[in-house]
Amino acid sequence: MVAKGRIVWVSGPAVKADGMSTAKMYETVEVGDSKLIGEVIRLTGDVAFIQVYESTSGLKPGEPVVGTGQPLSVLLGPGIIGKIYDGIQRPLDEIASKSGAFIGRGVITTPVDMKKKYKFKPTVKKGDQVGPGSILGIVEETPLVTHSIIVPPNHPGGKLADIAGEGDYDIEHIIATTEKGGDKLPLKMYHKWPVRKPRPYAERYDPTVPLVTGQRVIDTYFPIAKGGTGAIPGGFGTGKTVTLHQIAKWADSKVVVYIGCGERGNEMTVVLVEFPHLIDPRSNRPLMERTVLVANTSNMPVAAREASIYTGVTIAEYYRDMGYDVVLVADSTSRWAEALREMSGRLEEMPAEEGYPSYLASRLAEFYERAGRVRALGSPDRAGSVTLVGAVSPSGADFTEPVTTHTIRFIKTFWALDTRLAYSRHYPSINWMQSYSGYLEDVSKWWKENVTGEWYDLRAESYQLLQREDKLKEIVRLLGPEALPDEEKLVLEVARMIKIGILQQNSFDKVDTYCSPQKQVKLVRLMVKFYKEAQKALKAGTPLADIRAMPMIPSLLKAKFEIPEEQLNKLDDLDKQIDSQLRKAAGSAVMTEEAKVVA
Amino acid sequence: MPETAGIEYTKVAEIKGPLMIIDGITKASFDELVEIETADGERRLGKVLEVGFGKAVVQVFEGTTGLTITGTKAKFLGKTMEMPVSQELLGRVFDGLGRPNDGLPDPIADKFLDVNGEPMNPERREYPTSFIQTGVSVIDGMLTLVRGQKLPIFSGSGMPHNILAAQIARQASVVGTKEDFAVVFGAIGVQYSEAQYFKRSLEESGALRRSVLFLNLADDPAIERIITPRVALTVAEYLAFDLGMHVLAILTDMTNYAEALREISAAREEVPGRKGYPGYLYTDLANNYERAGRIKGKNGSVTQVPILSMPADDITHPIPDLTGYITEGQIVLGRDLFRMGVYPPVNVLMSLSRLMKDGVGEGKTRSDHMEVGNQMYDAYSRAQEVRALAEIVGKAGLTGVDLKYLEVGDMFEQHFLKQAPDENRTLDETLGRAWEVLSTLPEGELTKIRDKHVKQYYKGK
Amino acid sequence: MSSNSALERTISKVLSQKEAELISKIDSAYQESLNNLEASRGKLEAERTRIVESARKQGENLKRQIVGSGRLAARNQELLIIESAVNNAFEEARKKLAASGGKDSYRELSSSIIEESVLSVGSDEVVIECNKNDSGLIRKILSDLQEKNPKVQAKVSDRSIDVLGGIKIKSADGTMTYDNTLDSRIERLKPLIRKNIAQMLRGEA
Repeated sequence: MVAKGRIVWVSGPAVKADGMSTAKMYETVEVGDSKLIGEVIRLTGDVAFIQVYESTSGLKPGEPVVGTGQPLSVLLGPGIIGKIYDGIQRPLDEIASKSGAFIGRGVITTPVDMKKKYKFKPTVKKGDQVGPGSILGIVEETPLVTHSIIVPPNHPGGKLADIAGEGDYDIEHIIATTEKGGDKLPLKMYHKWPVRKPRPYAERYDPTVPLVTGQRVIDTYFPIAKGGTGAIPGGFGTGKTVTLHQIAKWADSKVVVYIGCGERGNEMTVVLVEFPHLIDPRSNRPLMERTVLVANTSNMPVAAREASIYTGVTIAEYYRDMGYDVVLVADSTSRWAEALREMSGRLEEMPAEEGYPSYLASRLAEFYERAGRVRALGSPDRAGSVTLVGAVSPSGADFTEPVTTHTIRFIKTFWALDTRLAYSRHYPSINWMQSYSGYLEDVSKWWKENVTGEWYDLRAESYQLLQREDKLKEIVRLLGPEALPDEEKLVLEVARMIKIGILQQNSFDKVDTYCSPQKQVKLVRLMVKFYKEAQKALKAGTPLADIRAMPMIPSLLKAKFEIPEEQLNKLDDLDKQIDSQLRKAAGSAVMTEEAKVVA
Repeated sequence: MPETAGIEYTKVAEIKGPLMIIDGITKASFDELVEIETADGERRLGKVLEVGFGKAVVQVFEGTTGLTITGTKAKFLGKTMEMPVSQELLGRVFDGLGRPNDGLPDPIADKFLDVNGEPMNPERREYPTSFIQTGVSVIDGMLTLVRGQKLPIFSGSGMPHNILAAQIARQASVVGTKEDFAVVFGAIGVQYSEAQYFKRSLEESGALRRSVLFLNLADDPAIERIITPRVALTVAEYLAFDLGMHVLAILTDMTNYAEALREISAAREEVPGRKGYPGYLYTDLANNYERAGRIKGKNGSVTQVPILSMPADDITHPIPDLTGYITEGQIVLGRDLFRMGVYPPVNVLMSLSRLMKDGVGEGKTRSDHMEVGNQMYDAYSRAQEVRALAEIVGKAGLTGVDLKYLEVGDMFEQHFLKQAPDENRTLDETLGRAWEVLSTLPEGELTKIRDKHVKQYYKGK
Repeated sequence: MSSNSALERTISKVLSQKEAELISKIDSAYQESLNNLEASRGKLEAERTRIVESARKQGENLKRQIVGSGRLAARNQELLIIESAVNNAFEEARKKLAASGGKDSYRELSSSIIEESVLSVGSDEVVIECNKNDSGLIRKILSDLQEKNPKVQAKVSDRSIDVLGGIKIKSADGTMTYDNTLDSRIERLKPLIRKNIAQMLRGEA
């Protein structure tokens, strides 16, 4: 019995309706004559409090509210990849084809093309036993993603009474029927799943494989593991979005879900414009063939912004269940928290800090808990992961505000963006003293096995130079650089080189935008070697000014963009130049010293 | 257009702040436009903020001063607030609610548009990539404005943001094109003289007949300011996407807008966010700022330059802070430069144009443009560090390269940044000046520029 | 004599020296002034171009300003003319409407207006106001309506209002009014009608 009530009160996205005694919590409802989509978020007597996912302008008391009996769900099946959805999985291209360049209301769409035919190849046969989460067969969703058709996790399982043969079917076609205790259940190529409920899995694994992003400061200094969690807080202009775009572009995951939650419209557009042309360095296919976008920009209805995070993470879990590594990027969780705050305010709940509801922390925890590397349900055996990266937009770039402080409790990698670095155009403006990664030890084995055993030590040595510089800078600030001995001035010099040559990375440069792990290690090794050789030369009496004037330094600093991936051997030339220029300097200095002694 | 008459109610239950609460409501919808008639027959406008249980909360744009519990009539007009639009709007002056203010009759409307607009579908947006030459070196060289961008000016009291905005409005052009342009100017709680300066500047450049002005001045009703940017942007969207014009929309001062919003929120006794501003300030500002851009398959564009004064020059104040999170960069004016007499006093290190990278380079401007911009940032940033150092240790304590950076700092401000309010520099001149600044440095310091560009343009020894 | 001549020689020597000095001074002064002249010519030239340039700029600005303002003023004049034409047309229409009292079409219109109004306000007890001439007609229409739909609780007020036609409905307690007079209907349609008239005047329709 679906609820049928009437609107009694409207204020912005919040609507109260009476006659709703049969409505369920979190049930989706159709609101008003124009059938706006809403969700029940509180029930008091027969009055339901509804958040509406579309503009309520013009809505009035007396208009009908009709329940759907269903919680807010997403449709999971082939056709999702490459799409751009709003916060409640309505494809924006379809909305545009119905309401034009501006988003109208009450537009009815289907999340994927129900008529499109996919070539289905069964991987099980009639009579096989299948359980929840088992794979029935595969279809080519895009040249990059093979889509497994999965028995829904809430399905009881059973014996396959019927399975379609290899052939082209649309997704409404019944491709299999299970039988259990005399009950026959049909299966299609898609199923629906409520967004607020995490999809179940068989077992959780420790994250040990790094998510390689091609960004030096991330991969080398503050890595994140596949299945891990990371947050990237930063004031405006610090480059949050650009960094997230970089992760979405270059991360070595199979699928990327990008959620634009309360952010700029043009930022979604640029993804739509760029990704079809950007080529994945590993597969040589357009990046769009592995990307799903969920866009609820800042000017779209605020309630759908709240839902967009759940819509995105449910889609990510679905691809994880196929045995894929999925990275989900949410920009920005602060806007999502603000949507929570706004609805909480309209519900007249008791506010906690800065007006945020007291359940902000638990909602954040629930979200980040949906990350992980897992063994999926059902057969065959397969592992997949969801890596969650959330941007945080602290007001006034103040990291002590509630969303940042609560987020820090639930994540393991913290990339702190620094307004001061951004002002000096040090991008990505990840502050190397404030940031941290809880996955360093976990991923070092991967580096050892796949790149080089030196990674861990080189990272530590170069990082130590940055730490020393940080301390020395205090002295310089008080006394000027001349107060330091040459050895310490050298530390400053090399730290500067590491900042320019390694930490700074230009996302908009064709070469510099992606840096392979191999190149990263080579560059760090060059810096460390330069420091050691320069130290020796200094000891041998070479004046610091001569070291600073070494002609190879500019080449070393520009190597990141002047030397492309396919010419990494040129980096070995630089290695030789360090030897020849610094050793020669050291040699001649020793000789003059000797000459003095002789004299 | 209303098909039926609105119902008029007279049972006013409460008047507080800018709000009026009316009882005995049988038919009213959220966001509906309300026409209020005072006991003396004066007419005002308002809109429904909340409706239900027989009550409607109405926000009165012209303020509630003089309203009475008895004798006040409120007519619910059965529609949301609309702006009549047509090509004829060009050359006209309106008040902050979009009513004629120039002694001329109501514009004859081509159509009526809801002033709230609708969100532009991101899928239909065209990514902005056409370079707008403003003739202002610091903007063209380092903070490039692109058609369809929203780039605010963060200013402080007394600083010349209006002179800069007017200069941009006069000089802005896309090189090599002669397309239809228009200026939409929304004055939100600014002084008469500021609005007048702008109007005169448009008049002198002959652009007044391509402009539409909305004036809510400092002594006009504060709550009206909620509507001023909305009517202005509604017209901007119409001119751009219905008539195919390239519209530059200038809104000044958005701080007054946010304050009006705070006043309403306080009257509604809402739980405040930071500094008493409502929690939805971000969303509300975004609903205005996001009304900029380009649309696939359409000729026109809306480029938005909102101006806001930072209370106490504090960039972390909620208004500039939230604005910066929404807009595509910011031009920040600096008090120090202003005191030094540098015009335009743009603090480049705090400023940013997010879309610059897409509007410059090979085929658009010059292949070295982006790199030169980056290197200029880097150089000026180093110069500032060295200046700070020099204050402690004195010039004598500086080494050779640091001294060069000191020189670069001065040259940057005097030779590149500084220019006259009526000086219109070409891009080549701007980049030429940038190279002259950079050529003060030893070649090895230019780490952000490709060797081939250094070879081509570097003039130093 | 000799001493004299010696003196003379000395004098003449000094003189010639002075002369040379003077000449060279004059020469250098001349040269200098020539140079100065040259320099100031350059400066003058630059100054002249600057003045000419700035005057030209000013002239251009002035021209732009005058042309712009002129066109704008002409356009504004046109707007005023159209407006007065529109107002005349409205006056005519009002007169015609006022004279249409007894016609059948007016009866039909009144009937539909009343029905629409009563429904809009709701079924509570209401009072109807109209102009003096219409009160008989309105009473008749109302009783027909009540026959059809007995739920309608309305009476016609004894107080008449000064309108072209149509009615105003008020709730019994007077807190709610629904204005459906011809005057207010015209007012609502005005923007559309103005557009049509303007198009006709401009020869667009």
